[in-house]
Amino acid sequence: MAKAEYKVIGTSPARMGGIDRVIGKGVYGIDLMLKDQLHGAILRSQYAHAKIISIDTSEAKKLPGVHAVITAEDAPNVRYGRSYIDRHILARGKVRFMGDPVAAVAADTLAIAKAALKKIKVTYEPLPVLIDAEEAMKPDAVVLHDDMPLPKNIPADVKVRNVCGFTQVHVGDPDKAMAEADLVVEEVYETKMIHPQYLEPRSAAAQMEPNGRLTVWANAQAPFPVRQEVAKMLGMPLNNVRVISADIGGGFGGKGSGITSGAAIEPICGLLAQKTKRAVMIVLDKAEETISTTIRSGAKMYIKTGVKKDGTILARTGKVIYDTGGYSGFGVQAGGRCTNMLGGWYLMPNAHIDGYTVYTNKQVCGPVRGPGGPQAAFAVESHMDTIAAKLGMDPTEFRLKNIPKPGDKIIGVHKLRDVSLGETIKVAKENIGWGKVKLEKNQGIGLATGSWIESAGPGGGAIVKVNEDGSVTVHVGKIDMGTAPRFGIPVIVAEELGVPVEDVTVLSVDTDASPWDAGTVGSRAILVSGTASQRAAIDARTQLFKIAAGQLEASPDDLEIVDRQIRVKGTPSKTVALSVVATNAHNVIGEVIGRGYCDNLELMAEEKAHGSSQPFTTHACIVEVDTMTGNVKILKYVAVHDIGQPIHLAAVEGQIEGATAMSIGQALCEQVVFDKDGKTLNPSFVDYLMPTLNMMPRIETTLVHGYPGAGPYGAKGAGEIACVPPMACIANAIFNATGVRVTKLPLSPENVLRALKEAGKA
Amino acid sequence: MSVKINTTINGQAVSASAEASTSLLEFLRDTLEMKGSKLCCNTGECGACTVIYNGKPINSCVTMAADANGAQITTIEGLADGDKLHPVQQAFIDTGAVQCGYCTPGYIMSVKALLDRTKKPTQADIEEAVSGNICRCTGYNKIVDAIHLAAAKL
Repeated sequence: MAKAEYKVIGTSPARMGGIDRVIGKGVYGIDLMLKDQLHGAILRSQYAHAKIISIDTSEAKKLPGVHAVITAEDAPNVRYGRSYIDRHILARGKVRFMGDPVAAVAADTLAIAKAALKKIKVTYEPLPVLIDAEEAMKPDAVVLHDDMPLPKNIPADVKVRNVCGFTQVHVGDPDKAMAEADLVVEEVYETKMIHPQYLEPRSAAAQMEPNGRLTVWANAQAPFPVRQEVAKMLGMPLNNVRVISADIGGGFGGKGSGITSGAAIEPICGLLAQKTKRAVMIVLDKAEETISTTIRSGAKMYIKTGVKKDGTILARTGKVIYDTGGYSGFGVQAGGRCTNMLGGWYLMPNAHIDGYTVYTNKQVCGPVRGPGGPQAAFAVESHMDTIAAKLGMDPTEFRLKNIPKPGDKIIGVHKLRDVSLGETIKVAKENIGWGKVKLEKNQGIGLATGSWIESAGPGGGAIVKVNEDGSVTVHVGKIDMGTAPRFGIPVIVAEELGVPVEDVTVLSVDTDASPWDAGTVGSRAILVSGTASQRAAIDARTQLFKIAAGQLEASPDDLEIVDRQIRVKGTPSKTVALSVVATNAHNVIGEVIGRGYCDNLELMAEEKAHGSSQPFTTHACIVEVDTMTGNVKILKYVAVHDIGQPIHLAAVEGQIEGATAMSIGQALCEQVVFDKDGKTLNPSFVDYLMPTLNMMPRIETTLVHGYPGAGPYGAKGAGEIACVPPMACIANAIFNATGVRVTKLPLSPENVLRALKEAGKA
Repeated sequence: MSVKINTTINGQAVSASAEASTSLLEFLRDTLEMKGSKLCCNTGECGACTVIYNGKPINSCVTMAADANGAQITTIEGLADGDKLHPVQQAFIDTGAVQCGYCTPGYIMSVKALLDRTKKPTQADIEEAVSGNICRCTGYNKIVDAIHLAAAKL
């Protein structure tokens, strides 16, 4: 494929809003200050599972400086949820995890609000606590949600409890194929819950306007779903709720699922504003955040594969137990994705996998960066190396043997348009020095691949306005959290309108003004808002050319914009400034307003006809294992990605490197730890270990170009896929170094040393 | 109990009252309404609130406001010279090290303190200087690039 000639696409101009952020003037959600605002605080459940017998707020209400104390009784009796509508904004009758909101207070100061929380008397009747999802499924387990039926698609002979999502993959005849296999390998893998730990705490501010409307300031990735849910939860007409987004200090999907993400912080804040007729702001304490907001679920994965002696995979069977926590949250979708991905992204002619999403008394599943994918890949890609070792094959040769070709199907994808998987493997081998690098004692080399979904999701729009000075203002419904809206989208608009990138301003989301959007989630910002922005910019350009044509005495089709000038192609002397044309527009159409959409039906039709051009990746690393302590040090790490055409190169690299780091954290140290009562033992940053620079390798990123993706200029989403391979990549390197397969995350000194001891190798 | 705090912030004499239990971060953000230093963990673990206190980088969330009495404090708001960014600030922009940007003010203050101490930091110096700063967006590559670029320009 010939490389297209672009002016700014694929470069790395300074991010929009960069200066604000380096001088301390970025206004994040928690930096807001409303006039005469009250401080809100939320009472969390003291039990992981209990009946609420009574709540007495009288003492709290008497405290001077307290303006409102609310419980479920003060809110409309309606529930929210994504698949199962199973949750109230304040617990009603039962609590189902220790972060469950029970009551809330608005007071003059935060200290008074916290003092008031202590004066709320809640009488609980404790119930048995379910920590382990597999135990929670058993037919004798206590039922967490009496009124939630089992999923309709569960086979009648399966006797389970507390299941809220079921996914079944069935292809070919796996039993027959398994019987014909030369080698059958069966393993069990387990990942733990991690919290996304974006640095900016969750916050919400709300105030009732004199006209009866409610304004909510949210640091949510999905302001429109927040608006819809706040209106529903408070019994208000949708058009009486306005949600405004400030800058967002990281989200990673943890702020991405409407009001579910922040455990209803926005409607709780709105209800306090309604009750007090004052502005109210709630900021979560980080430890409170860890126990109450959405997380990446732990999963237990049974995986069994039959192969021929030559390495051809014949069949896969398996089971996924996906722990969604106290409420369904995003667990049904994430568990379903995990189940499909347990089938791998290689040729798989026969398969049967059952996936269960299960309620437990823990934090609730959110769409955290690649929901379901990193967990599945830990099992799939570790398992691939176990099989390769048993076959006596090189792990890369075993993978290359089973790689799909264009037009092939894989589990969960009916047809692939192009497959860059093999190319990423070959480049990763080259970059890491596979088979060439000399490894010292206790050093090992490992590799793992990954893929991620391409499209399937709501559409979205963009509005591109050209101001009379030639500058450009863009409205999209996606928020900026260091992602496409203020990296890639200005680049796209600048490319189409022939202006410098710094002339383009992408506005923050305000549901009163921005086009509707499902949110900055699912690696979809460049696909949805990028496509819409490109089309809106082209629409604006068409309008500009129509107005300029008369002045330049040329056909609109013969015009181009270069360096803020509209000119006749081939006759650079015939030119008029963009600003002049935009000003002249006042006398013609008023303002140049380009509109564009990303049409999901169009995307789906394209994918149905031609197949999915989804991204693929291979990561490889070299580690050193200290067999005395179990400590694992990563000596070298390479990440090879096909994300199609990069739009903003530094942004793409940043997404890949950040997502890789997040999964390296989950691989080596991160996990939310519980005691038997469902109490989180490491809620604060003192105990929740995350990677800092001194434990991180330099991630060496290489981009390879496969078939163009469905996004603008052939871009593919880059935000999540790099989270998929790292855990197995590191586990495989440990396996290579020691011969010991660690099947449970994290690969912490404790777990590695235990595995080494069990194998007699410590 | 309210206490009077007399301090110097970004070269300006500041005198204000605050509750005795107020942290320096709360004093900056809530009393003085300087929101550039970021609130995150409130336990001195993430470095988002880093300011320079008498020449040393400190976590302002675990420092008492009263300890600011008589001290010289530099915050992120005090680094640029009018419209001219400090080389560390410029380096973070030029290398693409600002993603969500929430950790950025704390990083810039830690790096400024490092480069005030040594013009040619080694990799070990860099790792030590920012070992108390967490970034969840970048995977650290571009932050390291920014530190090297700033060191080269200073």
